[in-house]
Amino acid sequence: MEAGSKKEGLPKLRDILRRQRDDSLSESMTECPDIEFLYEDADTYNAELAELFSYTEDSEFELSKKKFEDGFVNKDCENKWTKSSESVQRKHIVFLQNELEVVDKERRLNAMWSLLYLVQGVYGECISEEEHRDWTHRNVHLLYEQGLFTSFVELLSMETENTAAASIAIRKMAVSVIDSSDLRLILSVLYIMVEVMRSPLDTESDEQRHNRSMFMEDLVTPLVGEEILPVILFSMITKFCSGSAPHFPMKKVLLLLWKVVLVSVGGLRELQKKKNEVREKYGLPPLPEDTYEVCKNMRASSPPTSAADLIEQQMPRRAFRGGKRSSLDNDPFENSNGEDNIFNDVDGNARQSSDEDTPPTPPRPATPTVVQQKTLPWKPKVRQKDLEQFLDTTRMKFVGFQVKNDLASLAGLPHPIHEGVKVLKEHLYISLTEIQIKREEEIAKNPFSKPETDVANSPVEILFQAILPNLPQYMIALLKILLAAAPTSKTKTDSINILSDVLPEVMPLTVLQSMKLGIDVNRHKEIIVKAISGLLLLLLKHFKLNHVYQFEFMSQHLVFANCIPLVLKFFNQNILSYVTAKNSIPCLDYPGSVIGEQPELTAETLESGDNQPYCWRNLFSCINLLRILNKLTKWKHSRTMMLVVFKSAPILKRALKVKQAMMQLYVLKLLKMQTKYLGRQWRKSNMKTMSAIYQKVRHRLNDDWAYGNDMDARPWDFQAEECALRACVDRFNQRRYNPHSADPDFKPVDTCLHSVLGEDIDLTEEFKQNYERWLEMEVYSNYIDWDQVINC
Amino acid sequence: MKMKMADGNSAVLRRNRPGTKAEDWCNWSDEAFEEMDSTLAVQQFIQQAIRKDFTNIEEILTPPEGVEEGVWKYEHLRQFCMELNGLCVKLQTECHPEQCSQMTATEQWIFLCAAHKTPKECPAIDYTRHTLDGAACLLNSNKYFPSRVCIKESSVNKLGSVCRRVYRIFSHAYFHHRTLFDEYENETYLCRRFTKFVTKYNLMSKDNLIVPILEDQNAIDGESEA
Repeated sequence: MEAGSKKEGLPKLRDILRRQRDDSLSESMTECPDIEFLYEDADTYNAELAELFSYTEDSEFELSKKKFEDGFVNKDCENKWTKSSESVQRKHIVFLQNELEVVDKERRLNAMWSLLYLVQGVYGECISEEEHRDWTHRNVHLLYEQGLFTSFVELLSMETENTAAASIAIRKMAVSVIDSSDLRLILSVLYIMVEVMRSPLDTESDEQRHNRSMFMEDLVTPLVGEEILPVILFSMITKFCSGSAPHFPMKKVLLLLWKVVLVSVGGLRELQKKKNEVREKYGLPPLPEDTYEVCKNMRASSPPTSAADLIEQQMPRRAFRGGKRSSLDNDPFENSNGEDNIFNDVDGNARQSSDEDTPPTPPRPATPTVVQQKTLPWKPKVRQKDLEQFLDTTRMKFVGFQVKNDLASLAGLPHPIHEGVKVLKEHLYISLTEIQIKREEEIAKNPFSKPETDVANSPVEILFQAILPNLPQYMIALLKILLAAAPTSKTKTDSINILSDVLPEVMPLTVLQSMKLGIDVNRHKEIIVKAISGLLLLLLKHFKLNHVYQFEFMSQHLVFANCIPLVLKFFNQNILSYVTAKNSIPCLDYPGSVIGEQPELTAETLESGDNQPYCWRNLFSCINLLRILNKLTKWKHSRTMMLVVFKSAPILKRALKVKQAMMQLYVLKLLKMQTKYLGRQWRKSNMKTMSAIYQKVRHRLNDDWAYGNDMDARPWDFQAEECALRACVDRFNQRRYNPHSADPDFKPVDTCLHSVLGEDIDLTEEFKQNYERWLEMEVYSNYIDWDQVINC
Repeated sequence: MKMKMADGNSAVLRRNRPGTKAEDWCNWSDEAFEEMDSTLAVQQFIQQAIRKDFTNIEEILTPPEGVEEGVWKYEHLRQFCMELNGLCVKLQTECHPEQCSQMTATEQWIFLCAAHKTPKECPAIDYTRHTLDGAACLLNSNKYFPSRVCIKESSVNKLGSVCRRVYRIFSHAYFHHRTLFDEYENETYLCRRFTKFVTKYNLMSKDNLIVPILEDQNAIDGESEA
């Protein structure tokens, strides 16, 4: 992992650090504990706020405090904000708001710094973190009530149009942190406001709750001009990627965009609830499980050992705790020919009996003991298509002819088939996607009798409509930055510099400063990856629920922009060390770093990092990227083949080393998709993985994933499949968002007399020269009964 | 100011027919609010009150029963913008870009014109025109104010910033074109009414109200909770 710094001394130090970590890793690899990770929409409130600020920016905290204190006078309260009355506070905020609109840039900046200090909770006057959090919330609400969120969005709009600053930055050799000073300030204020609104205190008042719901609406309402805030941020991203604004601080822009979308459309658990509500509306049963609850209770599988690992193992493993074991269990050291070991669940959970041969059984009721899982975690599913196919093939076989569109009649079929159909029907799952697609076809066939009725103007719908025109460019830009921020990329070859908002103006002089910068740079990239992965997943999932073709539209553009190889490239690194990376300096993290006494920064504190067993944001990013990859490739033959062609299997297998159930689940899903194309040899050597897939991934009845053999794959035509999909998506977009695209024959004829008056008629020159003659001939000399004309 | 009035009372036709003389303009009897059968009833009512006695600010700012506060604020702001056009016309004779090259009130306050994609340093007369145009666009926009009988709260929240920017027209006129200001103020009491209005409905902070137009300006405290 390159640190990206040009200093020569630095790589040596980082090597030392890396080596130290690696040694300890390989020693304890066999004893690597499960990672206790709870997947949420974002990290803790404190962590999210801390990540807003780079360590390079820490000198600016003093500045905002000073600017505020210079401008705030309240002799009755020793000039303390926290001791002033609310009316004094409001008065000052309004004063600052006016300052934001004056011509003098210096005054505007001073007002901005002061307001930043306010949303930073006037930390200089706070003793404890709790007090600080209270003041942060109070101040943010006060500012919001006075309309300052809008004021800052206006300032943002102004700064993004600031061509002078852009041209200065373009001409510079090395863009650094000072070039984005104003933008960073504005974005920080906006971000803190969004975060505070996203994570309310338990003690929030009714007014504050009311503010929050107004705030959520504001995020998808045009505050400045015609564009909503997400679109302003997206266009900043594309501008940055085009090279015309290299000074835009991408990390903050991406963080803000991610959180704005999260707050306005809702998080993933909320989405799941919404999905069930929509399913109910269509008369469908709710989802069979809560994904997040199941993942929470899943235990990680021990990773498949590779040949290299086997050779390294000299010490016997820890004794296994109790639990049932199948007869297939062997002593790990007997297999020395490089094959994978038979699956051994280190935690000794009970496993399925006779799992290999019999078809998957429906989940048995759980036994009273709490922890041990005796059932499969997911209820098996069957698609309508699968049921139809089953009936078609058996009818052909036993009866000799097909019965179209009939899922009920079992005449002439033997009894076991009846039972089979019964089981399939018990597990039938109709997805909303299928319903939406059917409805789309209906609308296309019957534009008059079954037109599309009111489309709900939800935040998701507003968001999609707003980003639709430029969505392809947005996707390309996001992926470009993701690529640049990936740990495996070489920074020098990129046309964009995503480090411009973390690199200081003057490169570090001391070893300590260099170490600090190295950590800062890595942290910076990790946060960027986190924001982009979170944002993309959120958009994909929300669009899919809203309408599958919105999702397909976005997916196609991601795929065309090479998202699939990009994610695979991302995983083609030592994922375990990425997930356990320690790129943070806790004593410099906001808000702890500005409240109370600060310990001195030494090399030891830098090296030790935080005391977490893993890096939350990195694990979060990995899971998101895997989920995104799943969403892009699921049920799409051509894209699944891309996974095979890119030789993703070994890359994905290595990712199983991370002992976290949810991450493993999404890796296993990707492997399951490809298994039947990987050949018998692969399956033989990867029984452990196959068992893990069996245990963790939802079963599809009658699915031949494990024994199917499509090695001589039927010719897959990438173009045809994607084109057909594109046609459907385009038809949907045209119909819903482009009212002029409708066939003119299908529009009612305009019979209103007044429309004629609104028409533009081009008069010929000849007419214009001789119009008096025309008047004479056609109007004055003709008798016209106007009453009749008007009343007909 | 052309007004459309629905025919509420069959006996009285409140129309300004072509050929109406200036002294007969809108010269009809008052109509009770309950009788007004139109989506523009609130506007009619306000204009009626102003015509009756423009100095009776209390009365003009008192809503009749059943009118939502958001609608009341909105209609008044519309009316203010319309009447400010009169001041603007007077200012055009005196407020030239060469003398008033920036939008200033008192010396320390020089403002950017927010009516553009990127706020600009417009001369005072341009600021005035742009701000009034911008306000009209916003208040007429279908997106924020699709109806005149029911207004979303998020749209009402936009009125504050409009007031703040429009008020600067008054302050500029007061400090730099005093005679014109006084002349117009005596004809309309517009600044007094505006000041009372924004204070009553908490649309602007007292500290922004730098034109000392109301004799009891310091005693307005009690009203701000309305």
